[in-house]
Amino acid sequence: METLAALLLAAFVAGYFVLAGADVGLGMLLPLLGRGRAERGSVLAAGIGPLFFANEVWLVAAAGVFAGCFPALEGELFGRLLPVLVPLLAGWLLRDAGLWWRRVSAAPVLDGLVVAGSWLLAGSWGWLLASLLVGGERPGPAPVVTGALTAAVVALLFLAHGLSLSTRRLVGEPLRRARQLTGGRTDGATRLLTSVVMAALPVLAGARLPLTEHAAGDTTLLFQLPLLCAALPLLLAAQWWLRRTASTTPHHNHPRGT
Amino acid sequence: MDAETLDLARWQFALTAGGHFLLVALTLGLATILAVLQTWATVRGGGGTAERLVRYWGRLYVINYGVGIVTGILMEFQLGMAWAGLGHYAGDAFGSSLALETVLAFFVESTFLALWLLGWDRFNRWVHLATLWVVTLTAYLSAYWILVANGFLNHPRGHRETADGRLELADPVALLANPNTLLAFGHVTAGALLTAAVFMAGVSAFHLVKNREEPDGFFRRSLRVGVFTALPALFVTVTFGGVQLAAIREWQPGKAATLDHDTAELARVQAEMVARFGPGDYLPDAALTRGAGLTMLLAFALLTLPLLASGLLALWPWAVRRLRVWHLTLMALVPLPYVAMIAGWVFREAGRQPWVVYGLLRTEDAVSQVSATQMRLSLAVFGPLFFVLIAVNWWLLLRAAGRGPHRTDLRVG
Repeated sequence: METLAALLLAAFVAGYFVLAGADVGLGMLLPLLGRGRAERGSVLAAGIGPLFFANEVWLVAAAGVFAGCFPALEGELFGRLLPVLVPLLAGWLLRDAGLWWRRVSAAPVLDGLVVAGSWLLAGSWGWLLASLLVGGERPGPAPVVTGALTAAVVALLFLAHGLSLSTRRLVGEPLRRARQLTGGRTDGATRLLTSVVMAALPVLAGARLPLTEHAAGDTTLLFQLPLLCAALPLLLAAQWWLRRTASTTPHHNHPRGT
Repeated sequence: MDAETLDLARWQFALTAGGHFLLVALTLGLATILAVLQTWATVRGGGGTAERLVRYWGRLYVINYGVGIVTGILMEFQLGMAWAGLGHYAGDAFGSSLALETVLAFFVESTFLALWLLGWDRFNRWVHLATLWVVTLTAYLSAYWILVANGFLNHPRGHRETADGRLELADPVALLANPNTLLAFGHVTAGALLTAAVFMAGVSAFHLVKNREEPDGFFRRSLRVGVFTALPALFVTVTFGGVQLAAIREWQPGKAATLDHDTAELARVQAEMVARFGPGDYLPDAALTRGAGLTMLLAFALLTLPLLASGLLALWPWAVRRLRVWHLTLMALVPLPYVAMIAGWVFREAGRQPWVVYGLLRTEDAVSQVSATQMRLSLAVFGPLFFVLIAVNWWLLLRAAGRGPHRTDLRVG
């Protein structure tokens, strides 16, 4: 049962890295791909916009599963990694605020929030993954040099993943610029490769955490695991429906949007 | 544990949770009103004023939803970052409610909110209506799961102690049916509906004062919806509040005695706690707890009379169109539910101190092993960030509210 809880946690974290990782990469590349508010809007709308926060919910759910199935470890780990989590959360918040407010305001500073927040978030993920990789069973914040190096590599991965997924959805000038950046070498195989790397990265980094030893008691797991496992296919179905809806064109006989 | 770390961690959690709570109050209440309005619009065949109402108030709902989410994210992580001792000692007993909240409620709510927004131009109107009901019901489910956790902290149920002195879940049904949770759920959700209804009435009154009524009576109708929702919501909120006040005399006598300023009872509670738990101060901060409790009661008292009068005035078409004094009064009422909500929350949470899990774990024993410098850094980052998020949220919300129902596009581009 402890293993099942660990697998569930891994699934949610991997889901976040694959789906939201591409959004973050796209946010980092925003100044390169789109010139002017309208173009940048089309980049965001293609990659993130119609789905709102539907990709980030994977991480929110992962943190919930972590707290529910491994409560003692969650507090210990988050407490010790506080200096890493502060910039990570700050980046996440800034990015979300920029994305959300962009819908109702044309202030140019909002694009800046999206870009800066995305970079801060990707870099912080690098530092966090470095901390997990070098920290063993009781990880603390990784040393600055290790952290910075990993952050650079992870930021590049986010960029590559964002590019590889976005070329399928972008149009017009942003698509041309994205193709220039990739040299036109993105296809199904690239998408699969970057997705697998993104999914594997956090799972490998977290593999050394003593999860099964610190799982919650049997009653707690028995209470929540069946519900969580039963929900997973339904969540996937709802997200698939959302993605399919976002890719269809709206009817034009109705006024647009709320 | 460093006393400064404890204070900073408490400040940070109070700001985060309090800010989140106020945003969510409006979101939850507006979602309910929207679901009913869209049901009405759908039954009548779509289009018309009912659909315009859903689009206008839906836009305000969505603006407010975003910052509610980001503050909620911070709260979720902060529980582990700053309060590791709580997860270590009691996470097994109540942490599952947080997992179930994120997966069964929040995940579904966010996904279906996106579906609802995209669905305007894409779905059959009944399917579109169904997506909004899923959003609304999962928002209530979310509030329920959070109050399962909060109810456990205030009045622990369904747990047992393990051999190594920690808590574990023994009886999930007792955890889920905790009377403290259920009463708070009724009180808070009705309070949220009251907050949204008064907001709706106040914004509509603003447009009527400015002579910006639409030809189809858009704001008159909104005002009536607000007033006729606020009255029953106020009644339900007060009822659940009264039942809770009676119940806490038994559950948390120190909290009740602080509100009553009953020195004899306070001395008795203190003596009883010392006998049970050893020497220490077992009474909550009197000024904060009592001040918050009285503020809450005062805000409700100030709302009651004008809302009762509004119930009558709303039946009189001339008053709805022209009675300026009443419109200005409705506008002035908008902050009052917020004051009552936040004061009620401070009363609930400050009044259970010094416990984080009532009678089982002290707040000072729950804080993470984090240096004061780290906690100060965290507060220095999140404090101003929060302030800006909430300030900009209100600015954008009021700006969109003031523009009226004509500009209702929420595309990202």
